[in-house]
Amino acid sequence: MLVSRLGSRLGRGALAVWLVLPLVPLLLWAAADRWSAPALLPQAWGTTGLAEARAAGAGPAAVRSAVLGTAVALLATPLGALAGRALTSGALRAPGLVFGVLLSPLVLPPFAVALGLDVLLLRLRVPAEVGLVLLLTVAAIPYTTVVMRAAYAAHDRHHDEEARLLGASAWRVVRSVQLPLLAPAIAGAAFLAFLVGWSDYVVTLLVGGGRLVTLPLLVGAAASATGNDAQVAVLALSAVLPPVALLVVIGSIGRRARR
Amino acid sequence: MTAAGRSGAGSRRATLLVLPAVVPVVVVVGAALTSAVLLSLGLTPLVGRPELSLDAWRATELGTSIRLSLAIAAGATAVATVVGLCLALAVTAGARRSRLLATLSSLTIPVPHLVGAAAMGLLLADAGFLPRLLGIAPADWPALVGGRWWIAVGAEYAWKESAFIALVVAGALSSRVASYTETAALLGAGRWARFRHVTLPLAAPALAASAAVSFVYTLGSYEVAALLGRPAPEPLPVLAVRLFTSIDLAARPQAAAVAVTTSALGLVAVLVALRSLRRLAAEQ
Amino acid sequence: MTVLHRWYGRALVAACAPVVVLTGCAAPDAAAPVAEDRSWDDVLAEADGQTVDLWMYGGDVQGNAYVDDVLAPAAVELGVTLRRVPIADTGDAVNRVLSERQAGVTEGEVDLVWVNGDNFATGRQAGAWLCDWTSMLPAMAGTDPDDPLLTSDFGTPVDGCEAPWHKAQFSLVYDAARVPDPPTTLAGVLDWAEANPGRFTYPAPPDFTGSAFLRQVLYSVSGGVDEVPLEHSAEAYDELSPALYDRLAELAPALWRGGDTYPQTQQELDRLFADGQVDMTMTYGPATLDDLVADGTFPETTRVLTLEEGTLGNASFLAIPSTSGDQAGAMVVADLALSPEQQLAKARPEVWGQFTVLDLDRLDDDARAGFEALPESPVVPSYEELSAGADPELSADWVTPLDDGWRREVAAG
Repeated sequence: MLVSRLGSRLGRGALAVWLVLPLVPLLLWAAADRWSAPALLPQAWGTTGLAEARAAGAGPAAVRSAVLGTAVALLATPLGALAGRALTSGALRAPGLVFGVLLSPLVLPPFAVALGLDVLLLRLRVPAEVGLVLLLTVAAIPYTTVVMRAAYAAHDRHHDEEARLLGASAWRVVRSVQLPLLAPAIAGAAFLAFLVGWSDYVVTLLVGGGRLVTLPLLVGAAASATGNDAQVAVLALSAVLPPVALLVVIGSIGRRARR
Repeated sequence: MTAAGRSGAGSRRATLLVLPAVVPVVVVVGAALTSAVLLSLGLTPLVGRPELSLDAWRATELGTSIRLSLAIAAGATAVATVVGLCLALAVTAGARRSRLLATLSSLTIPVPHLVGAAAMGLLLADAGFLPRLLGIAPADWPALVGGRWWIAVGAEYAWKESAFIALVVAGALSSRVASYTETAALLGAGRWARFRHVTLPLAAPALAASAAVSFVYTLGSYEVAALLGRPAPEPLPVLAVRLFTSIDLAARPQAAAVAVTTSALGLVAVLVALRSLRRLAAEQ
Repeated sequence: MTVLHRWYGRALVAACAPVVVLTGCAAPDAAAPVAEDRSWDDVLAEADGQTVDLWMYGGDVQGNAYVDDVLAPAAVELGVTLRRVPIADTGDAVNRVLSERQAGVTEGEVDLVWVNGDNFATGRQAGAWLCDWTSMLPAMAGTDPDDPLLTSDFGTPVDGCEAPWHKAQFSLVYDAARVPDPPTTLAGVLDWAEANPGRFTYPAPPDFTGSAFLRQVLYSVSGGVDEVPLEHSAEAYDELSPALYDRLAELAPALWRGGDTYPQTQQELDRLFADGQVDMTMTYGPATLDDLVADGTFPETTRVLTLEEGTLGNASFLAIPSTSGDQAGAMVVADLALSPEQQLAKARPEVWGQFTVLDLDRLDDDARAGFEALPESPVVPSYEELSAGADPELSADWVTPLDDGWRREVAAG
């Protein structure tokens, strides 16, 4: 018993190190003014990175990224939920084929989008913002579908049937039985969809037409030169922290739902 | 599956539910692939007259790139699947510390791959944080970044994707695993038996699906391999981007041919995963 | 099943048919559109109220700050709003313009691009730049019309399709503390690398800087710049390139990591230099060196290595895409950027430290005095010293064959 508990503690420790270690140099760089080899820790601490990131326009860029991510999440989550429901209902013809079609955006590498779609969207005179949200929503649909399909598959249909037997309307079943039970999955799906918009680089660059300077665009531009490590670290952390805060919110939704 | 479930009305309703997602996907993917195929066949040149030709397909040496890309994606996905499953189990185990682990795991998910690659570079390069931490001189440190085995590239994908797999698998496990394992424990099943006969079957569909997603993503992603890889040989996305941005405009059809190849490989991977998912569903 | 299959089939056809119509047979005319000749006052009047999107490489903190804090406020005074769009690679901007051109857009998102060399040549190949407009700029009077760096951009005739912005010189950079007795020729550098195994490497072409290093070595092994025809031909390539690849393959075992791999980018090489893993780095933009030394990224003993035979030199430019909808505003910004006040502000090491494209003899006394009073940098020599015996760039047609050959003969070997 003791051995197994020790083993599990060691395993947990190893997993924690695996998750955190790559982020350590980034965290240190964010607060470093000077850090050159072979010093283990920065020689000078400071806020140069923060100042440079602010000067580069990190604030407005974060707002733009958040708006983009929210728009994608608002569109892709309900679409994925509906599709997940249909895929697990047993009533859909050729569910394998439909699922395959819904996963197909995954096989489309971003550079393949770059190759042809930007010309097409321009020619159709689709406004850059609309085209961008459309493409990113399509890119997010596989994720929301996978999560919602798994959740509906794990969802015990007996609850629905019991509620129906007790006289609840179909809508009432959705609202009072399914939504609370599926809330963690919906939150998870929305989070993944948000991230597709929040962290996209290539599609924003090519289809957004430069008007939408989002956080990843700033990171990409700053990371392509030497001596910007502190700025890149600050930009990278500002790209990571808001979604983490969002996750905390989602986690509390999940816990409340389970209670 | 009930007879009512197959009725016309149910089927129509299910089709209506799925259409809002299917239509935009079909339009976007269809249009992107069509234009890539047209470009690769020389039908939509930037300059000059359109002319059907297979030159782009003959000109690029795809074999090495295909093997390399598949190897990187397979290796990274294998590690990510094992670590991701362990993470999901640890997170859903219900212990107090699992909350911390869940938070740490979710910390990784929003890191863009571009940033992840930069972080891995800072960590694993010859004079990176890890060799400094371990007190190893740059000359004695193995070539993880830009080395023959693409270790840093694989590590970045494995790191990011393990957290993604853990998120999906933990989501599928969280609702039911506790009650089932309790029942199994009451029935006298041992630790391993509970894992083998309760947890693993419950996790398998989500695990297989998320592993397939991460495999396909790794196959088509550019920035990590470009930042942490080596100049030759090139994985498919790096080859495609180099050709696409080449000053020689005639190289663009070749880039399109590489893009179509990458998409086709990803499609095959998704189909294989779907088949195994169906087999998993049939077994249960 | 069949119903659904048919539906998907129909949807696919419906999705694809317009694609064929819209992108097929869409090759635009490769001829460059030409700006109409008109008075500068006319241009100024039209530019008033326009917003100009300047797409430029965003990795240079000083460059970004110069555009945001110095150039943009000056443009506002002329009624033009200047917006900087940061990109990781200039090729992204060119690709965007090419897409817009293929789609027949006339109100495109890109109004001005900081460009030169292969990206300029690619755009010219596809008629992506507006041409014959720089002669309208009043500030062009301050440049030497016969300056070869300004009339030809990597062998591609400029033809008024881009306005000069700054000059740059390919420079090898070393740490004087670690290389007390630096070589003075490129052949000497290669010998030094062989005598000091593991302390030298270069970025893998097609990285811009690595590619320039390749051409610099080509000049050296061919017996000088005069031995290499600037115009590309298959014969010249077959005659000259074997010596280049043989020399580099011979050098490889003495490079960092035994030449088993190369840094992918100049940034990676800079990092190796900053971490003390190699003793030399190289750059086509020595202007950034002062800043890198000042913020501690590079050691204080960092110095530019001047070569007896001279190094490659180039100029970089501002080009207006033919798809831009704010071309008058873009011309006003390009003229402003070329004015003596802006060129002088930009040349200050604490601002950006970029070498001017103006010919000092053509300026009035005040302006000339300003340039002559620029402080000297301990790291970067003056442009006169750096560009002494400057080598012309090979034509852009050379670049891809040389890079591809390197990949085949040296990297894969």
